[in-house]
Amino acid sequence: MYVAAKGGEEAIQQAEQLYRHLNGPLTLELVRAIEQQLPYLIDRVMGEGSLYAPELAALALAQTGGDLYEAVLLLRAYRSTQPRLAYAQPVTPATMLTVRRISAAFKDIPGGQILGPTLDYSHRLLRLDVLDGTAPAETAPVALAADPAPATYPAVADWQRGQQLMPPLPPQPPLEPADLPDITADNVLFPAPRAHRLQALARADTGGILSLGYASMRGYGLIHPTVNELRLGHAEVQVTHPITGAAFSAGRVRVSQAEVVTSGGSKEAPGLTIGFAATLGWNEVKVIAASTLDMEMNQPEPHPAHTEEFVLYHTEPVEASGFCIHFKLPHYVTFASSLDNLRKVIATFYSADQPAQPAAAQPMKQATP
Amino acid sequence: MTHPAFTPAEARQRDTFLALMWALSYPGRTATLPAGDALAGIGEALLDLETTYYTPDAALAALLARSGARRLPPDRAAYHFYPQVDAAALADIALAAVGSMLYPDDAATLIIGCRLHSGAALRLTGPGIPGEQRCQVAAAPELWSLRARSPFPTGWDVFLVDGLQVVGLPRSTRLHVDAL
Amino acid sequence: MSHSTLAALATPRADYSYAFLDAFARRELRRRTLKAIAIPGYQVPYASRELPIARGWGTGGLQVSLALVGPQSVVKVIDQGADDSVNAANLRRFITRMSGAATTTDALQATILQSRHRIPEEILREYQTLVLQVPDPEPLRAVQSDSSRAHQMHADADYGQMWLVLYEQLVRYRQYLQGASYPSLVNGRYVISPSPIPRWDTPKLHQAAHLTLLAAGREKRLYAVPPYTDVYPLEFTDVPFQVEDQRDWRCRHTGVQHKFMNELPLADGSAGYELSDSGYQQKITAGTAPGATYYDDQGNFYHDGYLKPPVRPE
Repeated sequence: MYVAAKGGEEAIQQAEQLYRHLNGPLTLELVRAIEQQLPYLIDRVMGEGSLYAPELAALALAQTGGDLYEAVLLLRAYRSTQPRLAYAQPVTPATMLTVRRISAAFKDIPGGQILGPTLDYSHRLLRLDVLDGTAPAETAPVALAADPAPATYPAVADWQRGQQLMPPLPPQPPLEPADLPDITADNVLFPAPRAHRLQALARADTGGILSLGYASMRGYGLIHPTVNELRLGHAEVQVTHPITGAAFSAGRVRVSQAEVVTSGGSKEAPGLTIGFAATLGWNEVKVIAASTLDMEMNQPEPHPAHTEEFVLYHTEPVEASGFCIHFKLPHYVTFASSLDNLRKVIATFYSADQPAQPAAAQPMKQATP
Repeated sequence: MTHPAFTPAEARQRDTFLALMWALSYPGRTATLPAGDALAGIGEALLDLETTYYTPDAALAALLARSGARRLPPDRAAYHFYPQVDAAALADIALAAVGSMLYPDDAATLIIGCRLHSGAALRLTGPGIPGEQRCQVAAAPELWSLRARSPFPTGWDVFLVDGLQVVGLPRSTRLHVDAL
Repeated sequence: MSHSTLAALATPRADYSYAFLDAFARRELRRRTLKAIAIPGYQVPYASRELPIARGWGTGGLQVSLALVGPQSVVKVIDQGADDSVNAANLRRFITRMSGAATTTDALQATILQSRHRIPEEILREYQTLVLQVPDPEPLRAVQSDSSRAHQMHADADYGQMWLVLYEQLVRYRQYLQGASYPSLVNGRYVISPSPIPRWDTPKLHQAAHLTLLAAGREKRLYAVPPYTDVYPLEFTDVPFQVEDQRDWRCRHTGVQHKFMNELPLADGSAGYELSDSGYQQKITAGTAPGATYYDDQGNFYHDGYLKPPVRPE
């Protein structure tokens, strides 16, 4: 075996080593600290990486110096190599172990508004006393409630369905899990199956979903979303034992889900229209924006930036970031090909014996290579 | 640095795939499959949980089932395996999916056992063929009239297998049968 | 055999499959590749797994190469024609790390050539596979950004809007303006993007002895130009398609002309030129006789009459 040219290989090895040198040592302690102390960052990376593995997410963050897109790519690439061992049972709101659950649609709801852990009503003041070394050593304890809150709560939408404010859920035929459309293995064609859409939203780039969702909320959409229910909690991963056939829990995952509603329902079915999104990890801004987009995508003629194809293609974090940074790669062959055309146009229209002007002073139109 | 292991199963599946790829790239030319049961080997290389197959042959069906692929009736199966072309096989082949103008890739792939180098003389033209390629196939002539029903880009892709020899007939090949 | 725990069912964490892709992914790519060969120019959708290389950096081509490669393969990887480009070096390093394949810079020795933006100058042989990395597989994107509608236009062979774009260019500028990725008709049926190769390379796909596979990782489409298949750039009969005009350019290292060149701006305001195909240049520099080339030393293309003399509309 002989080996192709070496110069490029030497350069990329040194560049990687310089990057790692400046980032500092990659240690087990660093990975553990990230895993334990940056849970929301871990959640975001796991959600976009569509791989629930806090330890691996922490490793990915440590290994990339906190570059989110790089960390997500690491998880996705690792995920590609893993076999599918089993299909988990569906999680319903009624069985989700809920720690936070609020509705903006009603003052109070069956089961109550559960504020849970949140910074929503905190003052966003930097804790400079920590830098001064004068901060109290321990965080203030949380007072225990007289009665423990229940672990599960009914869905707000079920009450609305009971009131005929919302159409009943369509009947669910029993489904072979293997027949579920799977965005990691199928080609996405539009209009996409609902499973593809919800999977794409679950894996979507938080920033991208926020940006498009905000555009809809701010006025480029037709809908004012009302947060019907927002939940954070834990879901049991119920799988069937391959030998005994018994159902058992393989563990719990942190999940978020949001339902937004609008009264501007479709003409065929009067009543509230609902948008839904869920993701792995606790990420409220993502599920609120995503559920708004879900509702917007169901409109007969959404804004061009809120069509299903536009939203799903352009909020895919690995593809969007990868393509964006690929423009760093050399493009001098394609550039040379364009320059050749430009020189011919200049020669045709601006040479001494050809003082003519192009028929219209418009930019040259061609497909971008 | 050592690379991940190149297992015997992967070697066999890769060799099978390359034989099929070159057979399809140069229609009418013979490619050689790795040793073993040719039809079952092709099944091993192409089939898994995500695919479907059909074969009228019970023994072969049992081998193909090991891939995890689902056995479906001939009008719905993506990969068809026929140890030989008889009247019953022709009736099944007549049902095989040919795809649509919108999704020509929905067409079935037929793997057919037959005698090569004897029988009807075929003259082939089209992609993969400089000028014209000739080959001989001993198969029921109705196979060619069934094939001719679907205009490109619809139609099935065919692998003709004789022992370890395989000839590819993609739907893009124009086929003329010389009188016997 | 007993699998009493989930851990017993899982594969060990550090254990990668041969050529990285798991058996399912590899089989799926192989099935789609066969379909692509059978329907020349048709964009076959495929699952497109994430790889440990940034998306948009050749992951489509890389997946196809990984589905083909074996320990006996000889792999050449180029970017902009150069084996030594950092991106080419990185992809080559990954393929060999995962497969144990040998590597080469010699286009004629390679069994698999993965390339971004170029086709080598030497005429490829039968049973060689050229894998072209594709950023955007859809030649209709500029006239139809909705991919479902573009798919329907391909089904109907409805390419009228492509012709209209070319016509508008002729009216305004008296010439075609498409640079690289020149849209081309394959087997008289499907218009493809030949990937962002320069127009110089597009004719090399026509009635070629080798197999060309084109794959887009992000866009999840792969398509093929089988050997000995007609490939014609879109052109009006009275205004022929033209390759880049580099007739007066001479490689400053080898003195070679009539091959695709890199233009290098010089400090004195002039320009220098060098061969874009680094493997070809390496042979000339080493005194090794290169193989026959698609364009001879006078610039004549090897299929007589395929390239027509340039004409501009009045």
